[in-house]
Amino acid sequence: MSKQGISRRDFLKAGGAAGAALAGASPLGNLARVVAQSDQTINVLTVGDPWDLALQSVTDQFSEMTGITVNIESLGYTALQARLVNAFLTQSADADVIAVDQMWISQYADNGWIRSLDDFISMDSDANFDDFLPECLYSLSTWRNQVWTLPIASYAQGIMYRTDLFEAAGIDPLPSSLADAGMWTWEDYFGILEQINGMDLDGTSMYGTTVIGAQPVPVVHMYSQLSASYGTRWFTQFPEAPWDFSPTINSDANLAALNDWKRLYELSPPESINYLWFDAGTRYSQGDIGMFYHWTPYFYLVNNEGYLTGTPSPVVDKTATAVLPTRTAGGDQVVSLGGWSLGMPSTSANQEAAWQFIKWATGSEAQKAMGEVNVKGYQFADFSRQSNYDDAGLNAIYPFLDTQLEMMKLGDGKVVRPPAPIYTSLEGVYGLQINQAMSGQVSAEQALETTQTLFQNILSGNQMIPYGVESFDDTLENTKALQASLSGM
Amino acid sequence: METRHKVAIYAMMALVMIFFLGPIFWFILLAFRHPSEAYTLPPQLFFEPYLGNFGDTFVDPGNNAPQLLSSVIVSTGATLLSLPFALAAAYALSRFAMRGKEFIMNWYISLLIAPPIVFVIPYFILMSRIGWAGSYRAMIVTLQTLAIPFSVWLLKSFMDEVPLDLEEAAWVDGAGRFAAFIRIIIPLALPGIIVTSMFTFVFSWNNVIFPLALSKQSTTTLPVGTISFFASTGVYWGHIAATAVVAMLPPMIIFLLLGRYVVRGLTFGAVKG
Amino acid sequence: MPNRYTFQRRLPYLLLAPSVIVLLALILYPLAFALRNSFWFWNLQMGPAPLYYSGLDNYRMVFQVTPFAVALKNTLLLGFLGTCAQFWFGMGIALLLHTHLRGMGLMRALLIMPTTLAPVVAGFLFRYLLEPKGGVLPWMLEGIGFPVPPQGFLGNANTALFSIGLVDTWQWTPFFAIVLYAGLLSINEEIKEAAQVDGASGWRMFWSITLPLLRPIAAFLVMIRFMQLFNSFDLVFVLTSGGPGTASRTLSFNLYREGLVNYNIGLTAAMTWLVVIIVSVIINLYLFFIYRKREW
Repeated sequence: MSKQGISRRDFLKAGGAAGAALAGASPLGNLARVVAQSDQTINVLTVGDPWDLALQSVTDQFSEMTGITVNIESLGYTALQARLVNAFLTQSADADVIAVDQMWISQYADNGWIRSLDDFISMDSDANFDDFLPECLYSLSTWRNQVWTLPIASYAQGIMYRTDLFEAAGIDPLPSSLADAGMWTWEDYFGILEQINGMDLDGTSMYGTTVIGAQPVPVVHMYSQLSASYGTRWFTQFPEAPWDFSPTINSDANLAALNDWKRLYELSPPESINYLWFDAGTRYSQGDIGMFYHWTPYFYLVNNEGYLTGTPSPVVDKTATAVLPTRTAGGDQVVSLGGWSLGMPSTSANQEAAWQFIKWATGSEAQKAMGEVNVKGYQFADFSRQSNYDDAGLNAIYPFLDTQLEMMKLGDGKVVRPPAPIYTSLEGVYGLQINQAMSGQVSAEQALETTQTLFQNILSGNQMIPYGVESFDDTLENTKALQASLSGM
Repeated sequence: METRHKVAIYAMMALVMIFFLGPIFWFILLAFRHPSEAYTLPPQLFFEPYLGNFGDTFVDPGNNAPQLLSSVIVSTGATLLSLPFALAAAYALSRFAMRGKEFIMNWYISLLIAPPIVFVIPYFILMSRIGWAGSYRAMIVTLQTLAIPFSVWLLKSFMDEVPLDLEEAAWVDGAGRFAAFIRIIIPLALPGIIVTSMFTFVFSWNNVIFPLALSKQSTTTLPVGTISFFASTGVYWGHIAATAVVAMLPPMIIFLLLGRYVVRGLTFGAVKG
Repeated sequence: MPNRYTFQRRLPYLLLAPSVIVLLALILYPLAFALRNSFWFWNLQMGPAPLYYSGLDNYRMVFQVTPFAVALKNTLLLGFLGTCAQFWFGMGIALLLHTHLRGMGLMRALLIMPTTLAPVVAGFLFRYLLEPKGGVLPWMLEGIGFPVPPQGFLGNANTALFSIGLVDTWQWTPFFAIVLYAGLLSINEEIKEAAQVDGASGWRMFWSITLPLLRPIAAFLVMIRFMQLFNSFDLVFVLTSGGPGTASRTLSFNLYREGLVNYNIGLTAAMTWLVVIIVSVIINLYLFFIYRKREW
């Protein structure tokens, strides 16, 4: 096999070895307690995100400690969703642990498809529950004052830009921490893009930026950050009680955001209207994009040329990260916080083993081990725990962790993309309209008016307006209180 | 024919063949390329073949190997289940004059060309309710909406070709209808039965909508497996191509074996070929 | 023997019965299920069971919250253009094959390969070939000066649906070609006789004799393919997901989105019935006007 012929299998093996080596060095004694339950097998259903690779690379470590065999299957997003709903409806989930998108929590919890983890957490001090960033729990795991899942990979959003290009253009480096951010606004961001767009860098004609334009889900993921930064809220009142889902999507703030989004697209490669998440990341790593903002996993993913190719990208050492700007100088900021968490189907027959796995995989040691996996580039820095952000070793590998943590702490997954029970339907029509505004099929005003009408129709058609069910005052403060009480503090 | 006409015809035919076979050839090459070379331009026709894409998907970790087995189980099951129903119906339609024959034939074909997505969602709920969700039998049974009508049509066209005289001769010899059916029709129509089974197998094999909605982790089929490589972090083209190439081989081989029956099969027996 | 006679009379129906019963069970359940639930509010995102009777709300919602009209237009366009392209392109190839030059038999056997692929595989294949940056087709087309839209063929609102049609045409033209070729063979003698009587030129003969003789086969092919194109789901799913915007959304994809992404069962049920009605109208019009003279 040629030098390039490192297969995914080698990758997983080497990762596993790295994990096992780490296990020897780490104080994982707690896990040894469950060794008695050996011969158990649990099925884990995950999604094909980078964290899933890192997790699979270190799972042997869990099996060695506990004797529990873990079967992991990873699926595409849509396939996972279809599989899960199918399994839940039939009460025949063949998985003991599942990856849950933050948007599914309300549906799964309200339907009783996954079980609350409150009891496990409060009875198991090993979980070090107080170590989780409350913003991550709030955005990914809590619903109606219960914890349903634990975060396995938390993503905020942030900026990546080309240092060599900025140098050539005589632009100062961007602020990598909020303390330096001072007057850093979106207008500055656009100013820089206009300056660098079309510049020639070592023979490459540069695009200012790239967007993620594919409808409906990808475009909403990226657009909603700009839009929330501009002050857009989807509903009259949510997540604070009492909930009022009358849509406010055609606000002036959102119109300003959509018009600027169209500007952003004009400074992007034309084909980016069809880009999925990874397309934008790959494009940046290929070297003709000056600056863009994206989910934080791309802080490390852009160091690889293409997905799992094992080749370093041409922009390695020429890229830096920065905090997101605000709409007005020194104004309010809200950052999109998303990602994946692990939950337990109510039908699982192996709940104790499933809990052990969830606790382990979302625990500080396993997360660190996942972060240290390196065969085809480092594969995981999407930490949800303070201790991981404080870890010197991880900071050496991922020098941007401070920036990422600051973005996490401004994160609010319940405002930027509110996980209302029919979010998917709303996202479907919203993404479509944004995409059509980009392609010029409709104007920004029309797009938002149509979205407003469709939201109204969908929400009233689904009995969300007026909201007849009891509201819950779903604030970060309440999650913090819940976290304290479950941690026994 | 004049030589320059011949040359023109061959030139056009060459273009046609390149247009229709070139993309398949290029995709097969992709399965043997190292992932980092998927998008090399200008395209490289010669390169060191890389087997890792097949190794990853079918050997180790080999998540797609069980899907290959599932595809075989579902397609074979759907084919075998449809045969008794289709044989009886095709015999009736071929041998008896009856009222409403045209209506019945049209009804079968209308099922064949109805939008399958219409049926999928109710099946999804139904299978959940009767506890069949995710099982092979859920896919095998629901695929009958396509397999039975198709097989009836095709089998009828083959039975039409078995001369009535032979059957009547058997009756004269004292054999009943059933005995004549077993002794005369089945053996003479056997090539047709085999051809029909092979086509039903291919159509079931290539079906994606039913397994997409009705399978679970352990029963999903190979064409559905190719879709799951379309992950949110990246398209792993090497894996897609490797699984897709394996998924395309059985239908291709079957079509090559069927040779002169291809026309008849694809037109449900309406065009003899 | 009256008993035996009755049995003989009923035998064909008895033989048909099992398949008819199985098929009725398989299709009546979905249709009845859809009919009932089209009048109920049932959204799996809101709860696992139907919540209340909602009258015609779901039917209204189909038009209010999903791009149903656009999807219908795209679906019909795809069906008409795809079928036409495949018929004429296939006819051309059939005529080439019918020259019976050396090697045509082998080419005919190989030509069918695209048709054997699962549509989802064909979709992946062309998604790879059409990739705007690095795909071999845009690279070749740009090389010969053909205008490639900057967003790529699948990302441009004017070319996305057309591209899906093209991929389907790639896949199914060989099918038309070999079936029409078989048709040409079966009418060979008649053509020769007519030619001897007429002394007509090649083109006139093709229009006034060959084509009319092929009509039964053509009518059948066109119906089958139009409906298969009408049902297009796999290709749309893999190539464009209906985008950009709604430029390539089809009825099947619309159903998929509401049913298996949004899990709005009631709304999907209403849309199902609308589609069933549209399909029935199309099939019956076709059978009535074009197809009824056929003998089984």
